Amino acid sequence: MSAISTVGDRVADVPFLEKRDLSLLLVLPGLFVFAAFMLFPVLYLVGISFTNAAPANLFAGDGAFSVLTFGEATFVGLRNYVSVLTDPQFWNSFGITWLFVATSVALKLSLSITIALVVTSDRVRGKRLMRSLIVLPMGLPAIFTITVWRGIFSSAQFGLANQLLGSVGIEAIAWLSGRWTAFMAYNVTEAWLSYPFMVIITVSALQDVSEELHEAAKVDGAGYLSRFLHVTVPSIKRPVLFAAILTAAASFQQFLVPYVFNQGGPARANELIVVYGYREALSFSEYGRGAAISLIAVVFIGTFMWLNVKRGRLAEGVSEQ
Amino acid sequence: MSILGGMAGKLGEGARTLVLAPVETGRDAVYTLRRIRAGEQSPRGPAKSLLATVGALALCLALLFPIYWILMAALSSTGGSIYSSGGLALVPANPTLKSFLWVVGDLIVPAYTVLLNIPGTELALAFHTPKLVLLDVSRYGIENPSAFKHFLWNSITVSVPTVLISMALVVPAAYALSRRQFILRRKVLFVYVLMTQVGGGLGIALLIGLYTVYVQFGINDNKLALSVYYAATAVPFNTWLLKTYMDGIPTSYEEAAIVDGAPTWRVVTEVILPLSAAGLATVFIFTFLTGWTEFVVAQTLLGTQNYTLPVGLYSLVSEYSIPWARFSAFALTFALPIMLVYLVAQRYIEGGLSFSGMEG
Repeated sequence: MSAISTVGDRVADVPFLEKRDLSLLLVLPGLFVFAAFMLFPVLYLVGISFTNAAPANLFAGDGAFSVLTFGEATFVGLRNYVSVLTDPQFWNSFGITWLFVATSVALKLSLSITIALVVTSDRVRGKRLMRSLIVLPMGLPAIFTITVWRGIFSSAQFGLANQLLGSVGIEAIAWLSGRWTAFMAYNVTEAWLSYPFMVIITVSALQDVSEELHEAAKVDGAGYLSRFLHVTVPSIKRPVLFAAILTAAASFQQFLVPYVFNQGGPARANELIVVYGYREALSFSEYGRGAAISLIAVVFIGTFMWLNVKRGRLAEGVSEQ
Repeated sequence: MSILGGMAGKLGEGARTLVLAPVETGRDAVYTLRRIRAGEQSPRGPAKSLLATVGALALCLALLFPIYWILMAALSSTGGSIYSSGGLALVPANPTLKSFLWVVGDLIVPAYTVLLNIPGTELALAFHTPKLVLLDVSRYGIENPSAFKHFLWNSITVSVPTVLISMALVVPAAYALSRRQFILRRKVLFVYVLMTQVGGGLGIALLIGLYTVYVQFGINDNKLALSVYYAATAVPFNTWLLKTYMDGIPTSYEEAAIVDGAPTWRVVTEVILPLSAAGLATVFIFTFLTGWTEFVVAQTLLGTQNYTLPVGLYSLVSEYSIPWARFSAFALTFALPIMLVYLVAQRYIEGGLSFSGMEG
């Protein structure tokens, strides 16, 4: 990594390359546009979260000026935050989100490591081909994959999950109408969506595991399991941890799966936090509350990622300089 | 062209290995079998390999089953099921392409009459172009084809500006970050890396703010405004990606060009950009796919007339009863090109995935 990030430094040592500060001008347009569409909405969200904004008052005025005054919405101080934080619905959503992070990350990790071990095993023939096949879902648009999985968990005659149950003589289940069956469906889908990413990373880590250590352990009489625990795991720990952090962040921000499956239902029971904020604002016209919820989610995910980038040295190449 | 050539070469290579793999395996198996017969090798090892391979193959098939299943649903006339009274059926009873015809709809170029006035006279030349019927689905008994082409057009008019805008923002920035030293360079890089890791969820959380601002400016149902948004969100990841590509180009090439007296702009256009062609192609694909596949923001901002393909796909599902065969055909027609692009670009993408502090 360091070799990559220090190219700039090496360039600095080349006497005839220009290195004037004007180069910042090449970066500024991108930075400016990005900030306009990321930073500005954040600030605006902060503003909205302190008002009683709803479509009726927010869009009352028109033109550029009413954007800054939040239409005719009035300032209500911390009322949105108080009402959100005292709402059991919020805590339900908050809890189910963390539960989802825990269960889906565990599922994703175990599934991906199993797959990665299988497609790197010495005993398996045609590994390369299998590897490029199984990461195929990564190339599919998320909305495609998720609607297909919604079909799989459909309780209609078409639903694959019920067909498979039916073929072994088990009665059909209304997957998306039960709280925990729906939650399970989210987990399975999320695992299927993100296993290719983790498999790619784990496979490339497994290929770096030293053969000699394995051989040495074999000579010492270590079985498969103890070799896995004492040789393989320590050498793939870092990359897998990295993937787990990213995938945990993805789970925390999962929106499409609950939204497409049953809008976080049944009866708002499984609204993951991002869905909760979105629905509160755009389905129930409570913009102020929605903004407050979204901001709380952003603060959580921001802190989580910042800690990881700092502590886990994810951006090593950058922070080193 | 060289990129396309390279990609075609790699595809060909892949296809060759794919075709030759069974032959090789067969040869291997025969050889092993002979050795076992001759008593030169114990059958335990090969048996284990066979078992492991079969197991791995089963795992692969299980993982890819949903894709197979949706394909079969599209081919069946009713969106049928793999489980019927006759037990499990892996191929639909009466496979038909009708659903795909429904998706594509009529392909008819209507007749036009072109009038050319001859200057200075009252005369005009009239040309009649013939009506071109490439595909008339009503002949196959399909009355109301889908609005696929309409959605497709919307998607194109969103994606193409997205690519143009984001390339204009990303390429200069990547060059500067890779090749120049300037104040705030490290800070910009750090922010970009941080932002590549905070994914789409942030965008959805910010959607409320974005939506309000867009509505107040009256641009919420504007495809160009959506493109600008997509381009903006694509900036950090793609700038970072292209920067790492450009970092791989040795500085000695530039030095040589400068010694030969080339001005900076020629160094950039004739050394840096051609050599980072693969990186540019990856960024091109990624930014294009941003506009092509994004769903939530498009669904929130756009009105029915401007629906893009993903939103159009979802609008089929949100109805109470879902026409599964048609839905599947629509979904596959939407996803297949992307899947092919992904297959071609797989190596680059996998290379790009290990970009962030993996070693160490």
